[in-house]
Amino acid sequence: MKLGVYDKLMEMQASRRGVLKGAAGAAAALSASTVLSGIPTSAFAQDDLRAAILKIPGVGAGSPTDADWQKVGEMCLGATKANVAEGEFAGVELTFMGLNNQNLHNFLFRGFLKPWEAYTGAKINWIDLAQADYNARLQQAIATGTVDFDIAEMGAPFEGDVCGKGLASEMPDWVKDQIEMDDYVGYLKAPVGTWAGKTYRVSIDGDCHNFNYRTDYFANEDFAKAWKDAGNTTEWAPPATWQEVQAQTKFLKGKTDPLSGLSAHGYLDPLKGWGGFGFYFLGSRATAYAKHPDDPAWLFDADTMKPRINNPAWVRAIQDVLDVMPDQPADQINADPGTTGFQQFLAGTGSMLSWWGDIGSSAKTSDTSVVGDVVGFSILPGSDDVWNHKENKWETLAEGPNHAPNMAYIGWGVYVMARVDSDEKKKKAAWSAAAHLGGKDLSLWCSAYPSGFQPYRQSHFNIQEWTEAGYEEAFIKDYLASEADSYNHPNAAIEPRIPGIFQYYSVAEDELAKIYAGQYASAQEGADAIAVAWEKITDQIGRDSQIELYKASLGM
Amino acid sequence: MSTADGDLLHTVNVDTISASRIRLGRTLLWASVALMFLTFGVQALFETGVTPFGFDTWRPVLFTYCLWAFALCMSRVMIYGEQGKKALFVLPAVLFVLSMVVFPLVFGLWISFSDWNLSSLTGRKFNGLDNFRQMLSDPFYWNALYNMLIYVAAIIVEYAIAFGLALLLNADIRARKFWRVTFLLPLMLSPVAVSWMVGKSMLEIRFGPLSRFAKWLGWEQPSFFGSPEIAKLTIMIMDAWTFIPFMMIMLLAGLQAMPKEVLEAAEVDGASRWQRFWEVTFPLMLPVSITAVMIRIIFKLKLADIIINVTSGGPGGATDSVTSFIFREYRDRSNVGYGTLLAMVYLVLIVIFMTVLLKIADWLVRRATGAR
Repeated sequence: MKLGVYDKLMEMQASRRGVLKGAAGAAAALSASTVLSGIPTSAFAQDDLRAAILKIPGVGAGSPTDADWQKVGEMCLGATKANVAEGEFAGVELTFMGLNNQNLHNFLFRGFLKPWEAYTGAKINWIDLAQADYNARLQQAIATGTVDFDIAEMGAPFEGDVCGKGLASEMPDWVKDQIEMDDYVGYLKAPVGTWAGKTYRVSIDGDCHNFNYRTDYFANEDFAKAWKDAGNTTEWAPPATWQEVQAQTKFLKGKTDPLSGLSAHGYLDPLKGWGGFGFYFLGSRATAYAKHPDDPAWLFDADTMKPRINNPAWVRAIQDVLDVMPDQPADQINADPGTTGFQQFLAGTGSMLSWWGDIGSSAKTSDTSVVGDVVGFSILPGSDDVWNHKENKWETLAEGPNHAPNMAYIGWGVYVMARVDSDEKKKKAAWSAAAHLGGKDLSLWCSAYPSGFQPYRQSHFNIQEWTEAGYEEAFIKDYLASEADSYNHPNAAIEPRIPGIFQYYSVAEDELAKIYAGQYASAQEGADAIAVAWEKITDQIGRDSQIELYKASLGM
Repeated sequence: MSTADGDLLHTVNVDTISASRIRLGRTLLWASVALMFLTFGVQALFETGVTPFGFDTWRPVLFTYCLWAFALCMSRVMIYGEQGKKALFVLPAVLFVLSMVVFPLVFGLWISFSDWNLSSLTGRKFNGLDNFRQMLSDPFYWNALYNMLIYVAAIIVEYAIAFGLALLLNADIRARKFWRVTFLLPLMLSPVAVSWMVGKSMLEIRFGPLSRFAKWLGWEQPSFFGSPEIAKLTIMIMDAWTFIPFMMIMLLAGLQAMPKEVLEAAEVDGASRWQRFWEVTFPLMLPVSITAVMIRIIFKLKLADIIINVTSGGPGGATDSVTSFIFREYRDRSNVGYGTLLAMVYLVLIVIFMTVLLKIADWLVRRATGAR
């Protein structure tokens, strides 16, 4: 019976995709033929352009291809044409270093920049890196003085390493105008992207963790009845606090998943490291406990860089993970965030997940997702109480549960390296390429389709544009609200942009693995071990400079 | 035909080398030496901040080293003529080893005694034996070393299986060539491919065919990497699956080269199958066996790719190898000084371990074959 329901759902999804594919294909063909017939892109009204690119290839029409990326790149060349003459960069060669995660990032950039290369006459050489290799490659280039790239796709956490060492080129004013920086959501504006008052970054992403859940679980009457029967006084509904997440995860053990007919599961914790990126997921559990509204710091003491990882808030988050480990899928200790996001949640295992916005943008547009019609979104759960680190006590806030969305990684940006500064033509070419990738219209397309990037501009939150592209209104409202509410939250936990931040995360992952494997007597003992390792890293990198940079990153 | 006195190689042509040619050769050599030391000195003083002038990179020093190497080879011929040409057979190889093995080792040793975190604004700092002291109290390193002992010990089982398979494939069985190729297939796969195909796909707990098979056998919630013991065992099996064919093919070659008369003589003397194996085949195969095991140990000591891809050393370090730990320390944490020290210590341990093992193996072979 359950398998039948699942098959029916799959059929419905396939037919919906088929219909949209036909409609979107026609629209894309129309727009492409307009471009190819020689009508300048500037002839489009901007709204028309945005509507047209959002129909390539069309929501539900499967994953976009290189031809789609090139088409979008060509249609969005208008801003470049306003600042650069045709063939102006002939003879210029640039090297671009970026990622090749899940065949996204650089794969898209190649397509987007191909028409830019054809128009400007510049040539781009590519350095593709796996996410896990990225940090080491960048650090080695910096430390050995062998920066061999002109443009880099880079996360804000590395700004301390790159901009702090004078390796990046300062953004010219014409670029600021071309990419319309005022359109950025609040938390991506300065100081993010700046160093010592100078601007370096073209934002192409706005990262935060939001909360993804399965609507079919929380609409399931059998679950609701069993929840009541178990003596729970609250409604069976998507959780608003981590306390509820814990209770629901324990409750779901032994139940059957309404979509797949396999075992039902609650919250999915990635228990295996991911080159440092796995630590963000403990962070998402911890921010509601550790980020007090009156204190900008939550990871270290701002005055001393003394780690807070072993304070009661973080220890409680670790303990929460330990408490629900028996209720998670059998091999969860070997699941990294890639597994929880793409092999589990999108593939129909588990009902609650913290992740970047990729889950929402992939749920309906990725070929591998089966949860597109049964997924809901919110900001990260809060907590009934919050740790006041200064007062050394737990507090219950008068305004209700404490929420603190985790602004994990602060998004990808495109940075131009200082080595182009000596050649004006090359410098302009590099900044023009960066500005093309960070253009207002192009970024909308990236937010709507699998790209590795999520919405980060105020203009990305225009629901009508998304519904016209084929998204269901309820779905997209829900998704965008979770993003916007996270970005605009007054108590958002902003990641420190300090040198070596991933070293802290990486060593924490190793210790967390030991904690989860039961090698420490308690969560506290394990957290103390992380604190000791973090102190060593701070001393090795230089405590005084770390304090200074940490304060700067918190805006203190 | 004349040969030089005392020339055991009987050089046919004896050069008459003029004094000016010898002088020119020596001048070339010493000029290149001077140039190399001069550029090195200039760059070293510049890098240490003593002088304000120097090069942007160390590349010019490398170029002068290459020039010196060339001049050294040239000067051998210019100064010693035909005798000098003999040196040319060896010199390039010596210089290559010097450049690619000895120099990196010395440079690595130099780095290993330094505090060098790539994120540090102050760069590399000499810190004496601090890294070594840190290593002594690093539970992750010792845990990885302990795991390596277990991984290496598993070679005994791998060897037994490989020997069994080699005996089987040496016997007169049907489709022998087909089986030989089939058993060799895992060796042709990259360990990274094995990690993904087997570790991440076939062992995937929901849909992986091996998980389904385990469920069918009655294992309700199969988890191949969930507990430390099972995770370690699974990694060992995956690694063994890849490399048993390597030992098998070496042993098979040994079996095929073994003189049949000895076995026939044993059979005529009334030896049982087991006696023929244990008293004749096994001792005669000991030199081949030891070579196969030694090479396998060297492969095993480098075990990292499967671990990095499948478990990242987890759960809780249960599957970590020394190489995968160094990889994390160096790559994820940019801790170059400490990471290099760990690698250096591991190298020394491997050299000591292999030397002792070779001595024991040598003794075993002598004992088994009666050789002196």
